[in-house]
Order: sequence, then C-alpha cells, then structure tokens
Amino acid sequence: MPLANFIPTADDYLRYLPEIILTVVGVVIMFLEAVGGERRKPALGWLAGAGLLAAIWGSVVALGVGGTGFQNMVIVDGFATFFRILVLVIGLLTIVSSTQYLDREKANAGEFHALLLFSIAGQCVMASANELIMVFIGLEISSIASYILAGYLRDDRRNNESALKYFLLGSFATAFLLYGVAWVYGLTGSTNLAEVRRVLMTPESAPNLVLMGTAAALMFVGFAFKVSAAPFQVWAPDVYQGAPAPVSAFMSTGPKAAAFAVFLRVFITAFGPIATRWEPFVWGSAIATMIVGNFAALTQTNIKRLLAYSSIAHAGYVLVAVTAHSEIGTAAAMFYLAAYAFMQIGAFAVVTWFSRQGEKFVNVDDLAGLGERQPMVAAMLTIFLLSLIGVPLTGGFFGKFYIFRAALDSNLVWLTVIGLLNSAVAAYYYLRLIVVMYMKEPGAATENIGPVSAGLRVAILGSALATLVLGIFPSLVLDFAGRSAALVK
Amino acid sequence: MSLLDLVIFLPLIGFLALLLVPRGAPGMSRTAALGISLVIFLVSLGLLGPYWFAQPTGYTFSTDIPWISTPTIRYHVGLDGLSLWLILLTTLLTPICIVISWKYIQNRVKEYFAFLLLLEFGLIGVFVALDLFLFYVFWEITLVPMYFLIGIWGHDRRIYAAVKFFLYTMAGSVLMLAAMIYLYNRSGSFDFTIIQSMIQTGRLSLSWEEQILLFLAFFIAFAIKVPLFPLHTWLPDAHVEAPTAGSVMLASVMLKMGCYGLIRFCLPLFPNAARSCSGWINALAITGIIYGALVAMVQPNMKKLVAYSSVSHLGFVVLGIFSFTQQGMDGAVYQMLNHGISTGGLFIMVGYLYERRHSLEIKSFGGVATPAPNLSTVFLITTLASIGLPLLNNFIGEFLVLQGAATVNFSWTVFAAIGVILSAVYMLWMYQRVIYGRATEDLAHHMPDLSGREWAAMLPLLVLMVWMGSFSQSFLPPISAQTAKILEQSKVGVDFRVSVKNPAPVLSSAVENKETGSAAR
Amino acid sequence: MPELPLPTSVPLSWYLLLSAILFALGIAGFLYRRNIITVFMSIELMLNAVNLSFVTFSYKLKQVDGHIFSFFVMVVAAAEAAVGLAIILTVFKNRRTLEVDEIDSMKY
Repeated sequence: MPLANFIPTADDYLRYLPEIILTVVGVVIMFLEAVGGERRKPALGWLAGAGLLAAIWGSVVALGVGGTGFQNMVIVDGFATFFRILVLVIGLLTIVSSTQYLDREKANAGEFHALLLFSIAGQCVMASANELIMVFIGLEISSIASYILAGYLRDDRRNNESALKYFLLGSFATAFLLYGVAWVYGLTGSTNLAEVRRVLMTPESAPNLVLMGTAAALMFVGFAFKVSAAPFQVWAPDVYQGAPAPVSAFMSTGPKAAAFAVFLRVFITAFGPIATRWEPFVWGSAIATMIVGNFAALTQTNIKRLLAYSSIAHAGYVLVAVTAHSEIGTAAAMFYLAAYAFMQIGAFAVVTWFSRQGEKFVNVDDLAGLGERQPMVAAMLTIFLLSLIGVPLTGGFFGKFYIFRAALDSNLVWLTVIGLLNSAVAAYYYLRLIVVMYMKEPGAATENIGPVSAGLRVAILGSALATLVLGIFPSLVLDFAGRSAALVK
Repeated sequence: MSLLDLVIFLPLIGFLALLLVPRGAPGMSRTAALGISLVIFLVSLGLLGPYWFAQPTGYTFSTDIPWISTPTIRYHVGLDGLSLWLILLTTLLTPICIVISWKYIQNRVKEYFAFLLLLEFGLIGVFVALDLFLFYVFWEITLVPMYFLIGIWGHDRRIYAAVKFFLYTMAGSVLMLAAMIYLYNRSGSFDFTIIQSMIQTGRLSLSWEEQILLFLAFFIAFAIKVPLFPLHTWLPDAHVEAPTAGSVMLASVMLKMGCYGLIRFCLPLFPNAARSCSGWINALAITGIIYGALVAMVQPNMKKLVAYSSVSHLGFVVLGIFSFTQQGMDGAVYQMLNHGISTGGLFIMVGYLYERRHSLEIKSFGGVATPAPNLSTVFLITTLASIGLPLLNNFIGEFLVLQGAATVNFSWTVFAAIGVILSAVYMLWMYQRVIYGRATEDLAHHMPDLSGREWAAMLPLLVLMVWMGSFSQSFLPPISAQTAKILEQSKVGVDFRVSVKNPAPVLSSAVENKETGSAAR
Repeated sequence: MPELPLPTSVPLSWYLLLSAILFALGIAGFLYRRNIITVFMSIELMLNAVNLSFVTFSYKLKQVDGHIFSFFVMVVAAAEAAVGLAIILTVFKNRRTLEVDEIDSMKY
C-alpha cells in the first residue's frame, strides 16, 4: 500500500472536528488554569461551555462530510452524530449545574472543566468508532477522566471511595472487554467492525461459533460493567452516591449513553450475524437489571443512591431495546437514552442545589415540605420523577413506549410484560419522593434554603423543557433517530 | 378546530392560567376556577346540538390530525351518544366540586383548583379519544391530579390511599399499553375506528389465544377502575381519604372511565372473547353487588359505606354490559350517569356533615333533623335516589339492567335483585341513625342548616335526580342509538361460538394457533 | 515476510493457554486479594495476559494489527496506572488503610 494512503485527508480532520475541538479547548483550559490567577477561574467554565457549543457545531459539520475516515477507523453517520450531540448537551448541562456546587465546595478549578471535556471527547470517540481499537481508546479516555472526576474533592472520604471503586471495577471491566477483543481479532483476523461482520457472514471463513460466542460474551461483560447492567452493576450505587452530585449526574448519563452507543454498534454491526448466540444473555441481563434496579431502589433512603438504582433499572429498559436488535429497537434505545439523560440530569440538578455544603441533605425525608416552600423547584422535580415513572406527555413515557413497541415487534412478549410490570413497581419509589415533597410537614432541611443559582436554574428548566418537549412532540428527535438507526447498510 | 376540541382544551388552558395566579390570592383562584369551569359547562352544552332532534349514528365533532409520525399516532377525537352524557356529567360536576370546596380547602388553594381542572381535562379526553394511544395518554393523565388531590388534601391515611390508588391503576394500565402496542404491531394503526373496521371485516384476524389475552389485558385495566370485585380494594381507601370533591369526582366520573372503556373498546374489539368470558364476569359482578351491599351494611364510617355501595352499584353496570342485550346495555349506561349523580350527591352530603362535625363516623351523629331540616330533606332525596325509588333516577337504570339480565339468565336477576333490597336496608339504616333520634346539645350547636352555597351545589343534582327518574326519554335515545350499534358490532362472535361445535373450524383454528404459537417465543 | 526464528516445538495454542491462565489468575487476584495495591496489580496482570493473546494472534495471522493493539494497551495501561495510583494515594492519605474491606463508608 502506498504511503500516501495513510496520510489523512482534510475531510478526515473535518469528520473528527468535535473531538479535536474538545481536546484543544481542554488543553487550553489546563494551560490557562496554570498561568491565570484566581480571578480568572469563572471564565474557564464559560470557555468550556463555548468549547462544547463549538463541538456541537463541529458535529454538524462532520455529518456534512459523513462517511468513514482515517482508513476506516472512524465512521461519521447519523448514529454517531446523534450520540455526539447527546453527550455534548449532557456536558453543557453538567457545566451549568456544577457552578454553584463548585463554588460552595470551594473547589472551582479549571481542571474540573478540562477533565469534563476530555471525558466527553472520549465519549465522542466511542460514538464514532468503527474499529475495536477506537472503541477501546475512546472508552479509556472517557473512563480515566471520569475516575478523576468521581474523586474530584480530594479530601472528601466519600469522593475518594467513589473514585477508587469506579477505578478498580472500571479497569477490571476493561480487561474483560480487551480479552474479548483479542479473541475477536484472533478468530476473524480483524478488529474492524464491518470486516468482522463480513467474516462472520461468509460461511467458508466463519470461525468456531462457540469461541466466537465466548468472545462476544467477554465483550458483553465489559460493556455490561460500563452501562451498569446486572450482574455487573454492583459498583454503580456506591460510585454515584459517593461522587459529587453534578458528577454523578454526568456519569450516569454521558458515559452510559456512549457505552450503549458502542454496545449497539459492536453487537449489531459486528456480531449481528451471530445474534442468536448473544441474544439469550442480553435478554437475561435485561430482566435481571430491571428487577435488581427497581427492587433495590424500593428501600433506599438516600436520594443519590435511589437515583443510582433507578439508573440501573433504566439501563435494563435500554437493554430490552438492544435485545430486540432491530432498527426500531436501535431507534428506541437512542430516543430513550436522550430522554433519560434529561430527566436524570434534572433530578440530580435539584439534588445538587438541595444538598447544601458537604452534601448534608441527601435523604429522601429531607425533601419534606419542598412543595410548600419552593413550589417551582418541587414542580420541576415532579416532572422529572413523573417522566422517570413513565407518565404520558413526558419523554420517559415515550421512551418506554418505543422500547416496548420494538420488543413486541421482535416477539419478545415476556420481556415486555416483565418490563412493563417493573415500571409499575418503579412508580412506587418515585412516588415516595413526591409524597415527601408535597404531603409531609416541612422539616429542617427545607428551612433557610438558599436561592437556586442562575446556572442551576438553566439546567433544571432546560431539562424540564426538554423532558416535556420529548413527551409532547417526540417526532422531533425520533424521526432523526429512526433515520440514523440503520447501523448495517 | 371543533367545539369538542374547545371543550377538551379549555380545562387545560384553565389549569395553566390558574398556575399563573399569585399564591397569596386564594379568593382569586377560587373565583377564577369557578368562572372557567362554568364557562366550560356552558360551552359543553353546545355539544347537545346534533343530538337535539336526531340521533346521528357516526361520530360528531370529530377531529383527526396527525400528532406523531412514527409510529402513526393521531389526535383523533369524536363524540357519540355514549360519551355525550358522560362529558356533560364531567363538566357539570367540576363547578359543583369547586363550589363545595369553597370553604373547606384553605391551604394551597390555587394548586387544589388547578388540579381539579387538570382532572377535568383528562376525564373529558378519555371519553372522546378515538385513538388508542391518545386514550391511554388521557387515561394516565387523570391519575396525576387525583393522586395529588387525595395525597395533599385528604384525611389521615391519605398517603397510603393515594399511593395505593396510583399503583393499582398503573399496574392495570401497563398491561393495557402492552395490548395496545400488540394491536398496533398487528394492524399498523392505533386508530380505534380503523382497527375496529379491520376486525369487523376480517382483515385483521386474531387467533383465539390472542383475542383472550388481549381482551384480558384491556379488561383488567378497566375492571380495576370500575372497580369489579375482587379488584376493588383500592376504592374504599381512596374514597375515605380523599377530600369531598375528590370523592365526588372519583365516584361520579373516574369510575365511569372503566365502564366506558369496557363498552367502547372491549366489546367491539374482542367480541368473541367478551362473550365467552361473560359468564365469569357476570358472576363477579353479582358477587360484587351482594358483597358490596353486605360490607356497606356493617360500616361505621359514612364515606366507607357510600364507597362500598358504589362497588355494589357498579356491579349492576357490569352486569348490564355483559348481558349483551339492548335493555341491559341501555340500563348500564344510564346507571353510570345515575350513579354519578346520586352517589356524587351522597358524597357531597357526607362532606357537608363532615364539615359540621369533623367526623365521618355514623355514631357521632343522630338527630340532625331537628337543627337542620333542609339538610335532612336533601339527604333523604339523595338517599332515596340511590336506593332506586321509582320516579327517581336509579330506578330506571337498575330496572333496565335487571330486565336485560332476566332475558339471558333469570337467576342473575334474582341475585341482583337481592342487592337492590340490601341497598335499601343499609342506606335507610344509615339515614335513620344519622338523621333521626334525639340531637345532643353539642350536635345541635354545631349543625347549622344548609347555606346558600351548599344549596347551589346540590340543587342541580336534585333536579337531575327527578328529571332522569321521571323523563328518561330525554336522555335515553342517544344512548340507545349507540348501544344498539355496539351490540351489532359485538355480534361477530355468535358465528364463532357455533363453529366451535363444528369439528372442521376447530381443526383450522388449532392449526392457526399452533402457527402463531411457534412464531411467538 | 521471513519466518521468525521462533521455537517450533512450542505450539501457538500454548501461548493462548498461558494467556488464559494468567487472565484467570488476574481475576482470582482481583476477587480474593484484600490489599488495594495487589488488586490493582491483578488488573495489570489481566491486561498483560490480553497483550500476550494479541501478540500470539498477530503472529499466527501474520499481521501487525495485534502488535499495534498491544502497544495501545500498554500506553493506556500506563495512563490508567498513573491515575489509579494517585487515587489510591489519596485514599491512603484520608484513611490510613489500604484494605478494600475497610473502605465501606457507604451503606448497602
């Protein structure tokens, strides 16, 4: 092959514009952090926000020159763009909802924003990966930055613990994923997703299916850890509970969405031909994840921990869509992850505001009387909770509806019935929060509560608006998702 | 944009407008809510137009515009004789509920009235939605305001009752959602009228198992709402703990959502399944009639008594529907309205008594007649209406249901008639213990007679009780026109039942089942 | 490409077997060791087992892709180690312990 083929073209760089922008802005922030004074710090948040906006623009530009780039290493299609924009928007919401928190904990530093940008850059790499090497690198860029973010408050014992657990279990999962990749490579001779698919499709060259199934199972273990699917979800409650609230919001949405993006792409593109092999264990994991998440959440008293279990349960719903492995299933998963991101970030944003310095008030009972003392915030939290329950006219409802529709379309009747009954169980613990907010006498925690900062206000109102818009006019997002869901051309 | 759309969305606009009223002005929210709800009532009277001189067979005021592109979900609403009176009942009861809550609700006034209007929005939507998905959306929307009405403004065990209410309904409705999606995947449409015509013309043929399972998924969701014995356990809790207006809306309109769903969706969509299950369902209905009456008899709590009487009365509705006769169906629909008016009235009267004594226990009353003669008289008329005294409304409904049931199976009528007798026993016994006897000095002191506001709330209901009981012809024609049509549509099944006895179709249906059985995993 | 002077007496499958054994040892160490540093080293062992597999497959397939992949794994593992050791250090500073079981301030 002539050397010229290895030199990237201008289009290749355009296809990678969002990642490039994020990395450059992240590095600049790190630099300014070092040379700038204490007074400049707030400006770094603005810079990070501008970087994210620029990256969103970059994603649109990249889609304009869509296709594969860098010798088939990356692919820029509607699917990749959807997830790029999703994680970028998640990043924006995280930045606006973290300003008050960082000021309060006296930890406003540029590195927070830089790490966030690096993590998001990793997720963008994952979204556009067309090669198992890229999957691995993206996953690691995203993970390593989030390990640090989880333990961002260095002197806080819970932050440390959260970071440690996230790091140990995250790397453990990566090892499984890599071992799976090694076997996929050994059996098919390639790490390119399209090439793997081609090998698996050709009967003459098809490798031993048992070994191939094992390789897929190993990779599944890796992904299941990252999306907190049962039985590999044990880390999630501790990590989300211990990490700073805005970071928990970010970790339970951004990396999860990106992990699902590669999960879908790898399993549907590369392993599509052996779907009958992997479907049973994804099916079982989906059921186990929904049940474990929902039933464990029933007894939680800490809101962050409750939201962590609920995030496990929601990963279970998305796994239902993965099990369906059809185009409408992929579209449903995309829509659900978007809807879920807004309601989860919104709920965490309220917790961020409410918990006060040192995260003093994070118990369900602390919310008592919020409906009377802060009716506006309580109403917003109610919207998020109703959406998490899946009440019509919210994004969460349509997400569930599309997922179960896809499942029924693929004849997964039992999975649908179990999933729907689970969502009725879930109503119980979300309602408990509403009960406490509106139907209990106001307690100490809602007294003298400070105002909601402008940033948090933007995050909460923006998430609420997005939740309602996705619930009333879902076509806006769903049509795009439906058009980009064809992973196999 | 038809008149019907206006009636649907005015409450939503009212809800949003009420949220903008400043918190510190409870008087303003009350007046605004009352004004809006009266306007809605007046506008909704316009819906009578097409039914005044004629009986249109199709849907009137229908609107059908796309809402969501994939999957195809349309905003399709329409009015017919079945939904007409239920909507008027809703729009009439909402202002009444606002009037009776005028003084009783003193905290978070704005939110209370806003939720009442949101509830009205959901209820009206349920009765006119012709797209299954849209129906589900409205169905679930009603849950939220009622949950808050019970949970925030209810009595001591309100939280337990509110959560139980929400979870019961939710658990039932998720299965209905699954069934709707399944129907969509088979037929390619959520539109009720399209699916129905596909089933009628045989373009969509469901296997026997599919029909039964789909029917049950819908039926259980509706039966919980009706509530049919043994799924009724949420009802007494919700009624007892809800504030008066909540109980009234719950009993008078929300329970009718279930009955309405049975008639509107279960019968025309799955006629075979409905007919073959009708024996079991009627057995449950009759059990409910008698069980509800017996339990009501021993209740020491007035609200609980009225709640169990609802279980009993709604058994009649289900019996009428599943008798598959013209009289039975007419009676069932008529009984839905009657129950809405007389039980709504009873809850209002119990609410009046509660506001005076702050107790719902029968034994803390007695001798109310002396200090409050007007109240006692109104209470008597309402009680008699609920018992089913001739010339008052319930009589007509119960009579038609019994008549319809008798043509199918006379023993049903006998058992159901026992329920009628029992209802006279428990209602009159309660009336006697509350109203007659010697009033204690303390009671007489705290028992002012009906105020003008309280009269205003009850008067329309009293008029309707007499009117509906004496001149049923002003109400029945639109209902009959519609029930006749639904009966016609649900006749498809007769052929099927015949074919079961015939060996050849059994074989073919068995083969078909086997095929679908292997396709479904 | 000239044949590499690899001892022909050792079949390639042995390398894969060795890699699997090392990987399993890593898992066992992760699950049963209680010292954080040892747990972390177990993860490194797993990663190196993976590298061995990559190199073996790469040799068998006569491609360089596997070698490149293992370079990436090494680089990333180094980055991970840097971050991981820093996290372990802060944990130790705050708690004066490196026993996994003692790090349980969050309730179950």
